[in-house]
Amino acid sequence: MEVYNKTFRNTPNSELQTPNSPNAHRVVITGLGMISSIGVGKEAFWENCLRGTSGIRPIHGFDVSPYRSRLGGQLPEIDFKAFIKPANLRRMDRIGKIVVSAVRVAIDDSDLNLEEEDSSRVGISIGTGLGSSDTVDQFFRSLLKEGPLGAAPLLFQTAVPNAITSHCAIEYGIKGVNITFSHKESSTEMAMTFAYHLLKEGRADVIFAGGGDELSEPLYHVYSMLGALSPGKGKGAEGMRPFDRDRNGIVLGEGSGILVLETLEHAKKRGAKIYAEMAGVGLSGSTDGLLSYDLRGDSMAGAMSLAAKDLRTVDHISAAANSTPDLDRAETLAIKKVFRERAKEISVSSLKSMLGEFDGSGGIRACALALSLYQGMILPTIGTKNLDPQCDLNVVLGQSKKKEIRSAILNGCSNGGSNISLWFKRHS
Amino acid sequence: MRKRVVITGLGVVSAVGNNLPEFWNSLTEGKDGTKEITVFDPSAYRTKIAAEVSDLAPEAHFSKKEIRRLSRCDQFGLIAFREAWKSAGLDQDSQDKEKGGVVLGAGSGGILSVERYFRDFYQGRKKPFPSLLISYSLATTTDHIAIEADLKGPRTTTATVCSSSSASMGVAFEMIQMGLAEVMVTGGSDSLCEVSYSGFNSLKLVDPESCKPFDKRRQGLVIGEGAGILILEELEHALKRNAPIHAEFLGYGICADAYHLTAPEPNGEGVERVIKIALVHAGVSSEEIDTINAHGTATTFNDIAETRGIKRVFEERAKEIPISGIKSMVGHCLGSAGGIEAVATVMTLETGIIPPTIHYKVPDPFCDLNYTPNHSIKKDVRIAISNSFAFGGNNVCLVFGKFSSE
Repeated sequence: MEVYNKTFRNTPNSELQTPNSPNAHRVVITGLGMISSIGVGKEAFWENCLRGTSGIRPIHGFDVSPYRSRLGGQLPEIDFKAFIKPANLRRMDRIGKIVVSAVRVAIDDSDLNLEEEDSSRVGISIGTGLGSSDTVDQFFRSLLKEGPLGAAPLLFQTAVPNAITSHCAIEYGIKGVNITFSHKESSTEMAMTFAYHLLKEGRADVIFAGGGDELSEPLYHVYSMLGALSPGKGKGAEGMRPFDRDRNGIVLGEGSGILVLETLEHAKKRGAKIYAEMAGVGLSGSTDGLLSYDLRGDSMAGAMSLAAKDLRTVDHISAAANSTPDLDRAETLAIKKVFRERAKEISVSSLKSMLGEFDGSGGIRACALALSLYQGMILPTIGTKNLDPQCDLNVVLGQSKKKEIRSAILNGCSNGGSNISLWFKRHS
Repeated sequence: MRKRVVITGLGVVSAVGNNLPEFWNSLTEGKDGTKEITVFDPSAYRTKIAAEVSDLAPEAHFSKKEIRRLSRCDQFGLIAFREAWKSAGLDQDSQDKEKGGVVLGAGSGGILSVERYFRDFYQGRKKPFPSLLISYSLATTTDHIAIEADLKGPRTTTATVCSSSSASMGVAFEMIQMGLAEVMVTGGSDSLCEVSYSGFNSLKLVDPESCKPFDKRRQGLVIGEGAGILILEELEHALKRNAPIHAEFLGYGICADAYHLTAPEPNGEGVERVIKIALVHAGVSSEEIDTINAHGTATTFNDIAETRGIKRVFEERAKEIPISGIKSMVGHCLGSAGGIEAVATVMTLETGIIPPTIHYKVPDPFCDLNYTPNHSIKKDVRIAISNSFAFGGNNVCLVFGKFSSE
């Protein structure tokens, strides 16, 4: 081992020589980057979170007349040149630009100087449900129209799901861990889980973790054809209203959120501002069907119990609830199973009520939760008027609320049954 | 202390065999799985070949209704999973379902079904079936397997395409380390589809004749398809139930070139970095590596970068280590490449046979290592690595060792 390490030119850090000492490090959040429909960057985003501003509007940019739905949580026009060098913008498609910009916002927020870091100990872990869905569609249409010989190579190289992660690695010289997850609505929660574990084992100093998704026309089509979009087949009004008795499906959103996750040791060494500590993860699977959520909430309850090592300190849950009849009811069951008589003391919010639902939403939701812990503020769930008696939780409606949060859980649940809970603690 | 992780089940679907014995026999005999494409009409393409899976007979495995709902990728994944699960004895044992999970790697996933939908949709020929869109998510095959085996542990899908199913093994390994699982189904499945076929064609990365890794005449890859599924198991758990242990999964590395969207870092620095990260993670020295299952896509730049990277790690020993490029036989299976190659690497450890790199005739001065040309060799292999590299410079290296109870 001794001799071997002499030739280990690119990873001189002695930490790597002790791979058998798990759980040696604490993991903290030191930077937040978000490109969202309710604000780009921390200040604008947080102000709108506190205010309960909705990012959901009539879809623009493509024709929704063939569908029963017309709403979406689309991003405003963004001047990506503010985040990315113009020469590099050319090789990125829209979702690439969105995620690379979110990483830029996170880097700036964290005051990290990447030039001073050992680039092989800086990593990136991204989750995306459908990545470059628009580019894939453009490529496929070029193939149908022009035939195989006319298919555009530049589109293909950005069409792969990990292109967004590669763009980030190339843009910022991130040479350590590099991974992309795509598992429906738990994609980003998994990306954060993996980053957390590697940092805990000391296999990296800093990992950018999170992800995102774009709202494209083909995606809207697919969701609509699969019957996932509000108002569904019912007669009710279209909209996001998690836990409401009249909820009837999702409104599709888009955006990206990135956490700078760092070992506590490394953060302290560089005097970083610490928003919160990431202190546990829980993963479990339900098997109720390919397009079903965890119907009884057992699996979600398992994930929460595994994640939160001290359930008594949990004061807040950022719910996965997405305004579908099944998930919101099941998450309620799960929270009650885990917390029993304490369930009603726990403030529950769904940020999806403002952003809409999208597979890669976990990153933005985690950014908001970190700020909630840091500032002692609980965000409202908007759009919800009449709490469903089957969702009888302490759902914070209307306005944000001041409350010291000792620790909080972020839930991510996919249809098909991957359930992930992340546990965050206030850092003191 | 770190938990030891062993491999207790293997399953394969590939162009050279739809089960493990056939697959392994073909590899050791140097059989080429390349043939003319039948899953779509290749006549308009510059190249017309692929390592396509044939003689699979889905009716023997699934009901009519299931066949309608399962994409080609799902079918490969489920068939390979059943073989692996059964050979691990897990279909008989009643193990804790909450400690069993699935992490697969995906490439194009069920996009063949999605293409069918959108072709009809855009060409307005007929109203397509919305059920074809179920395969729109890359998670679909993973979920199918978990649901079939009723596994209630961790579940996710990695999406780094050409390295996905190697990355998935790393993630599955961590699920066991984190105490979240005792048994993990991992690897990957992928099927041919027009988007990836035309994509690699448009980048001029496809060889029109055959896949010739490390040979001077190489012109690129041959796309393949199939599934490679491995059962990872925590050692104590495997010993307790007397499971068949094929090999030990010692560790892995994953990192980025941070260089270019499609081209590898030309000096092999990314390759060097990932192999070294893997060796350190596995706690073994470069001296101990007996064979390398190469990424070996047969593209001009990959093979040079990989050769240079191997030389940077192993220095004067590099030329002594037999390297296998099995993509010459099974093609580049994208989302299942790493899984299929991991199965081959484990079989090498178990049988002491190193499969060849076939179609090797003309040496390239830039690729001057021992690529096990054309014929398999016998060698006692104690520790082996398997490389996988993806677009964007995503690198993964897996380290496997012969199992010994000490």
